[in-house]
Amino acid sequence: MRTVIVGFDSFDPAIFERLKNAGQTSNLSKFVDQGGYSHLEVCSPPQTEVSWTSIATGVDPGSHGIFDFVHRDPKTYGLYISLLPTKQTAMGEQYLPPYTTKTLFHEASEMGYPATALWWPALFPARPEIPVATIPGLGTPDIRGQLGVGTCLTTEFKEKKKTKVLRLEAVAKGKFSAILEGPNIKTKDGMRPATLPVTVEIVDDKSVNLIIGKQKIELVLGTWSSIIELQFPAGFAFSVHAITQVILTEIKDSVSLYFLPLQIHPLHSLWHYATPPSLVKDSWKKAGPFLTLGWPQDTNALEDGCISDQQFLSLCDSIFASRKRIFFNQLVNFHEGVLAGIFDCLDRVQHMFLRSSPEIVDEWYVKLDQFIGEVQSEIDKPGLEKYRFLVLSDHGFCTFDHKVHLNHWLMKNGYMMLMKQTENPDLRDVAWENTRAYALGLNSMYLNVANREGSGIVQPQEIESLLEEIKTKLLDWKTQDGRQIISRALLKHEAFNGPYTRLGPDLVIGYAPGFRASSETGLGKVASTPLESNLDHWGADHCIDAAKVPAVLFVNRDIRNMPGISFRDIPFLALGKHLDQSYVKPPSKTGSQGQKDLEERLKGLGYL
Amino acid sequence: MKPSEKTKTIIVVSGLPRSGTSMMMKMLAEGGLPILTDSIRGMDEDNPNGYFEFELVKQLADGNAKWLADANGRAVKIISQLLEYLPSEHKYKVIFMERDIKEILISQRKMLERRREGHQINDAEMEKQFGDHLGNVKFWLARQPNMEALYMNYNHLISIPSNSMIAIQDFIGIPLDIEKMKAVPTRDLYRNRASKD
Repeated sequence: MRTVIVGFDSFDPAIFERLKNAGQTSNLSKFVDQGGYSHLEVCSPPQTEVSWTSIATGVDPGSHGIFDFVHRDPKTYGLYISLLPTKQTAMGEQYLPPYTTKTLFHEASEMGYPATALWWPALFPARPEIPVATIPGLGTPDIRGQLGVGTCLTTEFKEKKKTKVLRLEAVAKGKFSAILEGPNIKTKDGMRPATLPVTVEIVDDKSVNLIIGKQKIELVLGTWSSIIELQFPAGFAFSVHAITQVILTEIKDSVSLYFLPLQIHPLHSLWHYATPPSLVKDSWKKAGPFLTLGWPQDTNALEDGCISDQQFLSLCDSIFASRKRIFFNQLVNFHEGVLAGIFDCLDRVQHMFLRSSPEIVDEWYVKLDQFIGEVQSEIDKPGLEKYRFLVLSDHGFCTFDHKVHLNHWLMKNGYMMLMKQTENPDLRDVAWENTRAYALGLNSMYLNVANREGSGIVQPQEIESLLEEIKTKLLDWKTQDGRQIISRALLKHEAFNGPYTRLGPDLVIGYAPGFRASSETGLGKVASTPLESNLDHWGADHCIDAAKVPAVLFVNRDIRNMPGISFRDIPFLALGKHLDQSYVKPPSKTGSQGQKDLEERLKGLGYL
Repeated sequence: MKPSEKTKTIIVVSGLPRSGTSMMMKMLAEGGLPILTDSIRGMDEDNPNGYFEFELVKQLADGNAKWLADANGRAVKIISQLLEYLPSEHKYKVIFMERDIKEILISQRKMLERRREGHQINDAEMEKQFGDHLGNVKFWLARQPNMEALYMNYNHLISIPSNSMIAIQDFIGIPLDIEKMKAVPTRDLYRNRASKD
């Protein structure tokens, strides 16, 4: 068995089909011509970490347990990132695998084949006990254990929404210094960031020397450095390794540098980053240093104005190039088993440019098509065994111009109450004894259920009718110009099936195109209005009604007679066997009322 | 198909009754493929070339599948309703006949009348049931690890037999006598075409 899977995060069928018709995607178009193209039904909600996990396992979130990017502890209403669950141990806080449901990679290894999954979401921390080689994707934290916050060093201090800003102090003419903060370490004064001194010396009107620790790096205005390896002193004879890249963004009226979030050094990780160690060493040595953050394309920096559009796109290009090198390094030696790699720059580019500069997005689709041609050339080499080749995405995309503050709607409609008016209230300010529903994450609404939630008040016999009531009102909710805001709201049992269903949201909110939950809603906050115009650089998204953002599937076999292809089919298409075939019902068991009519007719004709 | 695979694979001709399954069986027989049939239902006005059926097929739904041991490397006719009862220990290549449902219904009605069987359900309802059934079968069949399917359109078989014969030969993986196969679909077999408005 020889299967290659290329994942293009957020590759949208409508954009592809338009470009195909314009003759711009010659490699992927060949799949279409041979009957190997289909829209791919994705799970609800169509979020990256949820969807790729469903694709890898062939099951919906009810059977793997990742329902949204944010989960809650029902007893405390405390929030945590679903991709980074932790537990307290004698060794301190430890990361847990976000899910343990069997993947197609694990199945391949049990069939006796090697399996490698590159940049697949939710694979941090690595699981060395499972014989699958992994380099994790989305969900891999930075060196501080967060999802990635960069640092701007500048002589002109100005607070940013997310980016940490530190002042560059002038120490001499043309010379500035600052302290770069690294990971938190235990000190006698408690947890404090480890630090490295930074000095910036102006060379000319376009370049500076950056001295950080013992390294001296020349930076040219507007050009990213290569990956820098850092060591933060963290105690006696101990240091924490990190990697980053830096860019000089201003030199004329002020001096500014931007550091990408400090990331795990894959050769010196404090956590199980990837497995086996030889994969990382080999990749680093042969393909060069690579960024490890799960979301390395720094959209926060772009949104905060720390870097320009071009600088962001240049970063995306270098990340794509790096991943291609690593992927081809694996592909040239790949003779059997499963090799999979996810390329997610398109997702970030679409978030930031689909609304403002769609031509930039189109260029990326063409770039990805060319990549497929290169992969095809490699795997088509004579003498190699017949193979399966799948190219797929996890969801489509669309622009969004309105942020939805769902908790405000709940409050306005009498389902939520605050203890008192505060600035920026969140779930800690909710009067739970008067609250029947609350929203968090990008697509999740929960009822405040008695004996489930810590201060629940909704009785079991009230759940069904309350959900129907809320669902009806949500679907009736329209803007002043008559646009429907939510096109679908799925009850738990409609969206999920499996042992983790009880942990999932009571309602999965499927926003209509043009709308998406606000980031405030994502964190359980209660805004002061129900809707807000989206004026961010981040002008497009996919965390809406899954039916509105189908994904794509290209495969090197004719699938024209395979109706209703969904995420559930991917393990079967990749391996030739199902991980869970409960969704494949024999025709007589589909509950069709016409079964008896059919049998009567067939008996009449003498066939039964 | 490798010689060892030939003998382990069962060729199944399937579809709704009156979709061209008997014609396909005849073609395969003419082409040189061994056929599993008992000729219990002989030729008649509805099938002047014969039915090519195997009576024990009707017992599949009751769990009687032992006879399949004799079917390796041969073609057997199994209507779509019974495909789901095929045991998983064999490999199958399914040639699935497709035909316009309205034409199928006309042909079925005539056959029912000749057999003096009633047809309680009206055509519109039956068309919906067949449509749903075929959708469910197609969904299920595409996801069986031990089955491959080739869909053959009855009209194409009649009008462009060469392409279809080659496709069938490629699918089965055994050389067939294409010329003899082409002689089978004749215009006088194309009965009960739905009348055009």
